[in-house]
Amino acid sequence: MTPDPIPLRSPSTLECRSCGAGAPVDEHFCPQCSRILALGRHGDYFSFLGLPRKLVIDANDLERRFRDLSRKFHPDYFYNASPTERLASLERSSYLNDAYRALKNPVSRVEHLLAIEGLPSAKSEDPSMGSGHVTGKVPPSLLEEVFALNEELDEIRELRESGADPEKLRARLEKARAPIDAKRAEHEAQLQELSARWDGQAGAAAAEKRATLDALRERLLERNYINNLLATIEREAASVAGSAQPAAGSHG
Amino acid sequence: MGKVVGIDLGTTNSLVAYVDEGRPVVIRDESGDALVPSVVSVGEDGTIFVGREAQRRLLTAPSRSVYSVKRFMGRGIEDVREDAGLLPFQVSGEAGGVVRIGVADREFTPPEISAFVLRELKHRAEEHFRKQGEFDFEVDRAVVTVPAYFNDAQRTATRDAGRLSGLEVLRIINEPTAASLAYGLDQRNRGTIAVYDLGGGTFDISILKVEDGVFQVLSTNGDTHLGGDDVDRLLVEIVLADLAGSYVRGAGPAEGGPAGAGGRGAGPAEGGPAGAGGRPAGAGGRGAGAAAVETIRRAVIQAKWDLSDLEETEIRIEPSPAVPSGYQKRITRAEFERIIRPLVDRTLEPCRQALSDAGLQPKDIDEVVLVGGSTRIPLVRRLVEELFARTPHSELNPDEVVALGAAVQADILVSGRREMLLLDVTPLSLGIETMGGVVSKIILRNSTIPASGREMFTTGVDNQTGVDVHVLQGERELAADCRSLAHLHLRGIPPMVAGLPRIEVRFQIDANGILSVAARELRTGIEQAIEVKPSYGLTDQEVERMLIDSFEHAEADFEARLLIDARNEAESVIHATDKVLRRLDLDGTGAEVFEPGERERINAALTGLKFVMAGTSRQAIHDWTHALNNVTRHLAEVTMNQTVREALAGKNVKDV
Repeated sequence: MTPDPIPLRSPSTLECRSCGAGAPVDEHFCPQCSRILALGRHGDYFSFLGLPRKLVIDANDLERRFRDLSRKFHPDYFYNASPTERLASLERSSYLNDAYRALKNPVSRVEHLLAIEGLPSAKSEDPSMGSGHVTGKVPPSLLEEVFALNEELDEIRELRESGADPEKLRARLEKARAPIDAKRAEHEAQLQELSARWDGQAGAAAAEKRATLDALRERLLERNYINNLLATIEREAASVAGSAQPAAGSHG
Repeated sequence: MGKVVGIDLGTTNSLVAYVDEGRPVVIRDESGDALVPSVVSVGEDGTIFVGREAQRRLLTAPSRSVYSVKRFMGRGIEDVREDAGLLPFQVSGEAGGVVRIGVADREFTPPEISAFVLRELKHRAEEHFRKQGEFDFEVDRAVVTVPAYFNDAQRTATRDAGRLSGLEVLRIINEPTAASLAYGLDQRNRGTIAVYDLGGGTFDISILKVEDGVFQVLSTNGDTHLGGDDVDRLLVEIVLADLAGSYVRGAGPAEGGPAGAGGRGAGPAEGGPAGAGGRPAGAGGRGAGAAAVETIRRAVIQAKWDLSDLEETEIRIEPSPAVPSGYQKRITRAEFERIIRPLVDRTLEPCRQALSDAGLQPKDIDEVVLVGGSTRIPLVRRLVEELFARTPHSELNPDEVVALGAAVQADILVSGRREMLLLDVTPLSLGIETMGGVVSKIILRNSTIPASGREMFTTGVDNQTGVDVHVLQGERELAADCRSLAHLHLRGIPPMVAGLPRIEVRFQIDANGILSVAARELRTGIEQAIEVKPSYGLTDQEVERMLIDSFEHAEADFEARLLIDARNEAESVIHATDKVLRRLDLDGTGAEVFEPGERERINAALTGLKFVMAGTSRQAIHDWTHALNNVTRHLAEVTMNQTVREALAGKNVKDV
């Protein structure tokens, strides 16, 4: 999950709290006195790690950057420093850890990009409800699947409650799951394709870039929805498994 | 600036280590023992005993002695009732508050008891540096380890214990991670490592990735209520069940706790029933029952140790006032394994969860490291080996490796050396209670620390100036199922129409895994005052008061220290004398060495000294030690000359 980014506030320069000199916003250490800079205003996770705002990232390179910066910022190395520097080290390390976590995962990476490009959050409002139904606003492209799945889940639940053979129910669940899995795989491919498109649009017109971002956001919303569908199936599968061995008091 | 050490503050034993010329070493006592039992005992005159001395007193003064206190750190009375059942001391406390431990007529919180142990370790280290001829031998700072799965309250309690002991806790680090640092010193410098740490009272599993000297924890899991203590308890319960109906009237079955008045029949050596100090009648038998339980506990621990090497052994209890009937039972390793199997199995699910959180399969693990005394149990080794399909490492002493790692971390902090860096994670998700008692997660478990998170709040009523926030830790959806950390009360919100204020609350988990909170109203930029009421911790005021109390008791504690030093000195004189006498007896040269009556005088002084050592009079011990030194002076000269003559004659001293 990506924490909401701090809104950009005139990110031009930063004042070093140790010597008072001005420093570019993406510098970590003061160019004048070389002390660690407080994390006042800053750009975004990409620029913090010295990366371009691109979605296809070399995992090894990202990790190396994370390790190198950890060695520069970590509070372990600021024990004998001034309180100002210690605070700066703590904040900078925290931000680095957040940045690394967000960029490491391709999905949270897209979420972060959307946020810093000014799009509304793609996080869903957790549409799965206690009733076991998947409700909430269904993305139009998933209407058909959601409708079929809810119907099937209702039937399985009824059968389970009337003591049907759990083995058969499991098989039905597997079958109900297949189209959802397929949808998910399709989305993964689309996300990858859109990510590559975004990376190639550095010099493109604003409208073109915006269209890609909108498409990415659309995919993320659908993806979250699909994940919730899968979670609902998992829950039902667990209930089926539970009904198969009602006497089991505890198991691993 | 004083010295810096690393401390493993364990459930059963604690250790202190430091880095000497680039290598971590554990500090031992004169007899080479590195372990300080985490036992604290309060003498009849209020003096505090720690370590071996306190452990001895578990048998003679069980109602005045406390052990396994780590299990109570940062916990509430409702968490520990089960544990308290078999422990000899009084555990009380209000629901939803700090546990209090009654010892004799004093009451302590768990951090205060732990502070006594820390002070003992501090003293041990200072003695060590002093003897090495260091001018500045004061130890004032330490890195202290905790189980990786400790929550915020348990970590804070540990930090409070450090403050109370007069040590600045530079850093709290996780035990398995510390162990990996110690191993990392001379092992391969990259790879994925699983550290399986089963100690006296806690279990941890941590998965780490090591590259370029950066020890990055990928995931951690565990159980802060599972360890060797539980193994002992299972065995004690079996013995108690066997003995039930026989003569051990003081020691009732486990669930009932030691029986009441019945226990008086088997009075301990303490001199009369233990509850005499004005305890509630129901607890009157605790002393007697406790002595029985402690006697049984020692016997089963011995059998447990035996079974690490032997296929079969015996749980053997000699008849004593505590257990008049005595007890004897053969037990095979197979039987032992069948008894403890459910406990060991409980460690496997956290291992799988940690692997899954790290996104790894067992086959992705390059090395498995075993930590903690309980990993000496062959069944534990076998199951770990099966799970990871790897022979686990145990080259370093599993009891000492955590303290060694703590010393390495302490050295990194003060030296500024950057070859190694530890990046740990927070073991549990941090969240706040929202509508309907549901938890909204702000920092997810296994996030690298330091980590931060933010949450926006607003008001529900016009001109509302305060907001309450309930902070929790745990993975469950409902607040009631998570661990309550604190209630925050945000004050000083500028009066506005309901819903208009935008209060940003920032949560910061530092490198110790400890949370701090700050809040600001974004429209006005006004920083909010936050009142924090810890759910299971001490407030700063309480810690301050305890510090003052501890100064008041410092004199008594100083006396206790002197008594222990006197005993140690006496012990070494006795030991040296016994050694010489035995040698003279063996080679039959006594006749030519002793002057008339000398041997008798020595024997008398020996007997006298051994007698007063059982008491608590420092003066008497000192006097008798002096007496023994006097009567053995001639003997010492003779044997010294003999040794010198033999050495000069070309004979190796070792052959003498």
